[in-house]
Amino acid sequence: MALLDRSDWYDIARSTNWTPRFVAESELFPPEQSDPYGISMEEWETYDEPYKVSYREYVAVQREKDSGAYSVKAALLRSKFYETIDDAYLSVLKFNYAASIPGEYAACFPEGRMVRFSKAPSMRNLAAFASLDEMRHTQILLNFAHQLATMDRQFDWASQSLNSMNWVSMSGRHAMEDLLHSRDIVTTSVMLHLAFETGLTNVQMLGLSADSANMGDFTFSNLITSIQSDEARHAQIGTPLVEILVRNGRKEEAQRALDIGFWRVWRLFALITGLPMDYYIPLHKRERSFKEYVNEFVVKQFERQLLDVGLDRPWYWDIFLKEVDNYHHTQQAGIWSWRRTVWWNPDGAVGPAERAWLEQKYPGWNDTYGKYWDVITENAKAGREEQTYAIGMPCVCNMCGITVAAAGGTKWDARVRQSEYKGRRYNFCCEPCQWIFDIDPEHYADFDSIVDRLYNGEIDPPTPENLLKFMGIGVHSEGGVDASHLSWAHREPPQMAAE
Amino acid sequence: MAGFAVLSRLQFDAHVRVIDVLPEFTMDQVAEACAAPAIGYQASHPDPTKPLRVRLTTPNDDAPAFPRNLKVKDTKMRHYECIDVFVE
Repeated sequence: MALLDRSDWYDIARSTNWTPRFVAESELFPPEQSDPYGISMEEWETYDEPYKVSYREYVAVQREKDSGAYSVKAALLRSKFYETIDDAYLSVLKFNYAASIPGEYAACFPEGRMVRFSKAPSMRNLAAFASLDEMRHTQILLNFAHQLATMDRQFDWASQSLNSMNWVSMSGRHAMEDLLHSRDIVTTSVMLHLAFETGLTNVQMLGLSADSANMGDFTFSNLITSIQSDEARHAQIGTPLVEILVRNGRKEEAQRALDIGFWRVWRLFALITGLPMDYYIPLHKRERSFKEYVNEFVVKQFERQLLDVGLDRPWYWDIFLKEVDNYHHTQQAGIWSWRRTVWWNPDGAVGPAERAWLEQKYPGWNDTYGKYWDVITENAKAGREEQTYAIGMPCVCNMCGITVAAAGGTKWDARVRQSEYKGRRYNFCCEPCQWIFDIDPEHYADFDSIVDRLYNGEIDPPTPENLLKFMGIGVHSEGGVDASHLSWAHREPPQMAAE
Repeated sequence: MAGFAVLSRLQFDAHVRVIDVLPEFTMDQVAEACAAPAIGYQASHPDPTKPLRVRLTTPNDDAPAFPRNLKVKDTKMRHYECIDVFVE
């Protein structure tokens, strides 16, 4: 039997709105879930999806993607690749699997809510595919990571991080619960599809994919490229939605959702992408610097996309641009120094050649972050390895859950910003994190950072050993050590070696 | 008055650190407690020829230093007070 072309039936098939007779429209589509902005049903029905796909087409394409990814995985496993690759690169995988899987899993739910609650039938249709996308990503990432857990228990965090009280996991979970689980589906779509997926996944998936391919890890490279092909497709769900918001006088609300979403996700991506690209990937395998990727995919492309849909750059854009030069260096320093608290082995990777590269890519690195690593290098060279581990606690932000830190050396930029709400002091690492809290403190007031939990009795007794146990270190796996066993600290600059 | 945590900015350090202080601590003892986990680990003394002083953190880094013998209990400091540890 001949099949009709998709274009012959698609518009009719996905026009699934009807006039409810047994319940009121407000019960069918509760405003707190469906649309708190009061946009009419007629307007929502103008939502025109930017891409059209049938279920048959969707399944056929996804099946091809999956079989491609799984066949590369099988081939690489046979080659014993992961047993011979260096530990710093394995840390890229350990960090990324454990950080990505909870995010992909979390994203299944808002897409599901959109299927149920969106007033736009076309959006409901696309969100159904997007929910399937996110399930596929969760499953394939778990499947790939699972095989590696037998080789190294730190890979077990791919599943353990979902419910862990490790500070890194808590940071990601706080952001995901904020953006994906705690708001109406219109606001969530702006945050998820526009801020998260359109804004930042390109850097993660395409940039890191190139570096992984250079390492010879075609499994991971292929895997994240496969995932990104879905993300890039369903990220477009947000575009017509934002256009409807702007057309109906809700630009301010859309802009605010974007500004919150982008900042929260930027904080996470700067860590899971910035650290691998500029530190964990060996120097000779790096495709480009993290800053170059962000400038290409975010500063140029995303900025243009925002203007195209009628929004502006986030109000903190100048702060963001400054952070592209700085933030991940700050966190590389902190995560490395407090490496016992994480489930991967961070690579210090600041030998003479790496420093020259960092100075070239980030002018001024030696005078700021370099001073930090000078102290550590001196300790390492003198055999005082124990002194290369940080002691005590860093201050942790009550919004992003990440340490409050900034450039040191010849600068002195680390500074806490505080807000007071119902008699409690909240600490923030930067102006945007504080701004997000201040516009809706009730939404965030109950979140306790890992430091708060030390002082409110949740970690009892508040000893370093108990803190590590609370965070799953020594439980699911051991904590981190330097991936290169400090070898980078003992390298001499080329001219000195020659002398 | 029990001990509590201050948030310490050691001059030129990259981190803000959580430091436990006691009411009986003088400002010199506060400075010492703040420097202990930083100097020699990830930071250097900003100027070893000068004593470390303590002041409240302000947006322009311009608060006066506390007298070195002033005790914590004689200030209005409370949990999560932000302080600078610096040389004059």
